[in-house]
Amino acid sequence: MTSSIAFKSFTGLRHSSAEPPKLHSQLHNISPPNYCQRHLQITAGISSPKLQNRNLRVAVIGGGPAGGAAAETLAKGGIETYLIERKLDNCKPCGGAIPLCMVGEFDLPLDIIDRKVTKMKMISPSNIAVDIGQTLKPHEYIGMVRREVLDSYLRERAASNGANVINGLFLKMDLPKGGKGSETAPYVLHYTEYNGKVGGAGQKKTLEVDAVIGADGANSRVAKSIGAGDYDYAIAFQERIRIPDDKMVYYENLAEMYVGDDVSPDFYGWVFPKCDHVAVGTGTVTHKGDIKKFQLATRNRAKDKILGGKIIRVEAHPIPEHPRPRRLSDRVALVGDAAGYVTKCSGEGIYFAAKSGRMCAEAIVEGSGNGKRMVDESDLRKYLEKWDKTYWPTYKVLDVLQKVFYRSNPAREAFVEMCADEYVQKMTFDSYLYKKVVPGNPLDDLKLAFNTIGSLVRANALRKEMNKLSV
Amino acid sequence: MSISMSFFSPPPPTHLLISFSSKPHFTDKTIFFLRPANPLLLSAPKVSTDNGAGISAAIEEPKAEQKVAEPAGSAPEGEESSLGSNGAVADAGVKLESKFVDPRWIGGTWDLTQFQKDGSTDWDAVIDAEVRRRKWLEGNPESSSNDDPVVFDTSIIPWWAWIKRFHLPEAERLNGRAAMIGFFMAYVVDSLTGVGLVDQMNNFFCKTLLFIAVAGVLLIRKNEDIETLKKLLDETTFYDKQWQATWQDETRSSSTAE
Repeated sequence: MTSSIAFKSFTGLRHSSAEPPKLHSQLHNISPPNYCQRHLQITAGISSPKLQNRNLRVAVIGGGPAGGAAAETLAKGGIETYLIERKLDNCKPCGGAIPLCMVGEFDLPLDIIDRKVTKMKMISPSNIAVDIGQTLKPHEYIGMVRREVLDSYLRERAASNGANVINGLFLKMDLPKGGKGSETAPYVLHYTEYNGKVGGAGQKKTLEVDAVIGADGANSRVAKSIGAGDYDYAIAFQERIRIPDDKMVYYENLAEMYVGDDVSPDFYGWVFPKCDHVAVGTGTVTHKGDIKKFQLATRNRAKDKILGGKIIRVEAHPIPEHPRPRRLSDRVALVGDAAGYVTKCSGEGIYFAAKSGRMCAEAIVEGSGNGKRMVDESDLRKYLEKWDKTYWPTYKVLDVLQKVFYRSNPAREAFVEMCADEYVQKMTFDSYLYKKVVPGNPLDDLKLAFNTIGSLVRANALRKEMNKLSV
Repeated sequence: MSISMSFFSPPPPTHLLISFSSKPHFTDKTIFFLRPANPLLLSAPKVSTDNGAGISAAIEEPKAEQKVAEPAGSAPEGEESSLGSNGAVADAGVKLESKFVDPRWIGGTWDLTQFQKDGSTDWDAVIDAEVRRRKWLEGNPESSSNDDPVVFDTSIIPWWAWIKRFHLPEAERLNGRAAMIGFFMAYVVDSLTGVGLVDQMNNFFCKTLLFIAVAGVLLIRKNEDIETLKKLLDETTFYDKQWQATWQDETRSSSTAE
């Protein structure tokens, strides 16, 4: 029944724009009934004025996964889209891991994926190593991508759908002044355009748009312009190391996670395989000043496996820990890292950035009736509502996991011990790869709870004995 | 590595023993263990070629051996001095690479056959050994290696060993506290209201007091626990509040807009 409703509404859409039919095959996280019902009420719900002689103009600031996905959806929806990105060949420092569902949902070509990680090793403070990934089916994997490849692919797809990609640096934005007529007054964006002809410093330009999507990352200027507030953030520090070929074989499709106080007091250290080198890094929220020390410790822990490697690049970037206090203001919405949509515990952000960009763009497309009407804040709020409803369980569960298992060394030991359990592995991968928190078999859940408590108790008991030793 | 080998091959026990200022009576055992320690040392490939680090690495190994050989009682002090020397000698950035070695630690796990006492495994000794290993690693984080992975799992130690060693003493303490509080409160309530113990138990208010007393004894074991509990409570809802922050705007703005 749901599929027939979906079909009806999409034939309706074809009148106004070339909407490809495959949108309705996205089963995973967009709930089709919700989407379609709203669509059917479209003429009744929107009270905004119809735009005369033009389509809605929306600017997307930032051309990463969030910006690229948003621009594509907007352009497909018939909206006049401007994508402003300051560095088109930007090689972003990033873990680079994308879940399986992203490949399907965003129709990513398989050659974008450098490596398919099918095994992970978790290593506890006392070097107890646990292999996870035995429960993965043959077609399941974690994709490792190069950000410059992924970002430019999404941007090009947006451009081919009709978005105007501008190579420029967003400077500031003039908000429409309050009072009469402010619902339709445009936002004036000031940016510096870089193009080959002018060269060097670039040209100052302005652009008038009706709505703005801020996808400009952790240090978002759009967020500053709307007074979105600050968030706590972690510093992730990473070194790209080219290791000898025989050592690279070990990391063929395996990623490692190191936990321990030496590596990070509130996060983890990692070794992720990239196209022809590995990325060794760590992160922290509370002890940012000690990040170099943590990085040395991470390299020390992986020493045997990266011996003989040469550091080819050092990079660091901030990772938001929680959403900004205001993710929306009037007709400006934040998505991706700019909004703070990075999960705790794993620090995953690429998928959520792309998904939120798409969701926000969809809300604008809907609210404007494919660009025919002006949007207002309530239309954009629908994106926030949908986002919070769909992903709140995921974020909360990861937050709880971080609070419980990243607290102290005994907790981390228990964490690694728990990862050895097959049920845990299956649950973890299912929820990571498909971004759904699925309640498992209650009996198994009970056994899991029991085992978790047992592990935590044992590890803490050992810790108490350890403290006695030093006294 | 060749530089450090020159320190090891003619074993200079006198040099090293002089530095053991804290534990002179370990000397005879040290000499005994220094010989077997050397082959293990030579196989450890990661000893720094820096002279200072080479000497201190040599000091560490015998100490590691000695701390394993001694019974649990005197080991704490041996542990302390080895950790102290680590802290003193380790330069900024130079990580001393000496692996955790113990004759009972074989193949990345504890060899239970070496923990036999009176025919059955001495689980307390296993726990002690693991505690020492973790303590050592906390002070000297080691590289995890694929050639000799650590596969020890604390769940091989049976549940009753954990209970006997950790739960029972704590349970005794808490039950003692509960009994003292219970007796005292029963007496006070009886003397104030004349209601005997059996009648107190039938009263709802007294049952509530009993519940609070038991919960208090269980949750608040140290003075710091009160603060800890308050922080925990805040923590459980903090993340939710961060997510809800954007919605507080909506109620304000929607009331003005519409």
